Amino acid sequence: MSDVPQNAGYMVAAYVVTAVILVAYAVSLYRRSNQS
Amino acid sequence: MTLTQKGRWITLVALMCLAAVYVRALAFTPVERLQGLAQKIFYLHVPAAIWTETAMILVGLASIFYLFLKDARLDRFAEASAEVGTVFATIVLTTGPIWGKPIWGTWWTWDARLTATLLLFFLYVGYLLVRGAVRDPGLRARYAAVLGICGMCLVPFIHLSVFMFRTLHPQPIILKPSAPSLPGSMLATWLLSLAAFTLLYVGFVTQRYALSLMRDAHGGGSPSHV
Amino acid sequence: MGELIAQAWRVARKDLVLEFRTRTALVSAVVFTALVLTVFNFGRDPTAVPTIDLAPTILWVTFTFAAMLTLNRAFQLELENQALEGLLVSPLSRTSLYWGKLIANLVFVAVVEGVGLPLFVLFFDVPVGHVLAPLIGVIALATLGFVAVGTLFSALVMRTRFAELLLVVILLPFLVPPLIGAVQVTARLLGGRPLSESVGYLKLLAAYDIVFVSLASLLFRFTVDE
Repeated sequence: MSDVPQNAGYMVAAYVVTAVILVAYAVSLYRRSNQS
Repeated sequence: MTLTQKGRWITLVALMCLAAVYVRALAFTPVERLQGLAQKIFYLHVPAAIWTETAMILVGLASIFYLFLKDARLDRFAEASAEVGTVFATIVLTTGPIWGKPIWGTWWTWDARLTATLLLFFLYVGYLLVRGAVRDPGLRARYAAVLGICGMCLVPFIHLSVFMFRTLHPQPIILKPSAPSLPGSMLATWLLSLAAFTLLYVGFVTQRYALSLMRDAHGGGSPSHV
Repeated sequence: MGELIAQAWRVARKDLVLEFRTRTALVSAVVFTALVLTVFNFGRDPTAVPTIDLAPTILWVTFTFAAMLTLNRAFQLELENQALEGLLVSPLSRTSLYWGKLIANLVFVAVVEGVGLPLFVLFFDVPVGHVLAPLIGVIALATLGFVAVGTLFSALVMRTRFAELLLVVILLPFLVPPLIGAVQVTARLLGGRPLSESVGYLKLLAAYDIVFVSLASLLFRFTVDE
């Protein structure tokens, strides 16, 4: 029975990237609507 | 409450829902034995992909109705959906390779779904570029609508042709990052994530739509009703 | 119906007569095609990969570029002399205008391909005699798809800034499905495979043509009307 592959780093990277993109967009929308 | 505020609230709730998904996916969902922890990227990648595609179809539908009804609200919605779709496409195109590297051994393999999303991304960018390149609001709305409809109609061809193309090529090594039948706990996490992304779509589109409305009101000019 | 065809032919003939009188665009496109084929020769290592493996790619990338080049000129002529307004004010229906432009564009691209194919055979020593008829068939099918969408989009970008660049950016995603079909069928034909193996891709090309020719002719009036 093989070990479960150790690839937690990728998981973390993906979760961080997703959060960054979504939060960045949310912030962008917020700032753009304040400017208008 | 203004539309902008409603949008912000929905987005806030959506982000909190997403945070719940993060906690559940990372701490309370079983680890998939063959792929290991990297499989958990699936919980973000697939809902984002579903909304990337749905957003494009909605752009297409709104565009069709716009050409018939000439209602500026439809044009604003299409614009909003396209921008949000682009954001979700970016998520799919970044999480995809990050997932692919440990599983397939390579960052990119022209896998059917990733390739289709890449093409969708280009469609979105083209749509937004056309919107940016046309001054007159009426023309802009019409041209964007034409492109939006064509884009929506292209989607089935993208899937078909990319699928046919892909079946020629060696499949990714051993593991295919899809889970056709999910055990209960994983399914629940996935559904929660889908709900979060749905809320994110609604919240983002509402805010973006409100932004458009504000700009039109300040003299950007809405497409005149014919 | 007869009126539509008559009007379309009148538009096409005007374009063709104008173009064959000066021949500038046509000659440029033909020379461009020859140059691209030449560049391809230097872009490969003939000892590493047999020509026949690269042949379909070389052919179709060349044809794609050539088609896009000819499409750029489609509405430029009208724009320069404000002749478009004249055309629109005339009793010419928008659909016949589209079909006229489509026919004219198809003739241009056909001429370019008609020179490009023999050059390709010559430069890369690719025997096509035994499959010439089906090869011309698949070239025609794919080209129709490219040019149908391209004609619509060239009208769309006509009044935008950076029109030529924008045309390429919005058009390329639409060229991927027919390109996939065309390259796969060409590869099979040149490889001596029976036609039955290409049926799926041929159906893809046919379906694409039917859908996008219809869609483009329906949507065309939205790109030219005020």
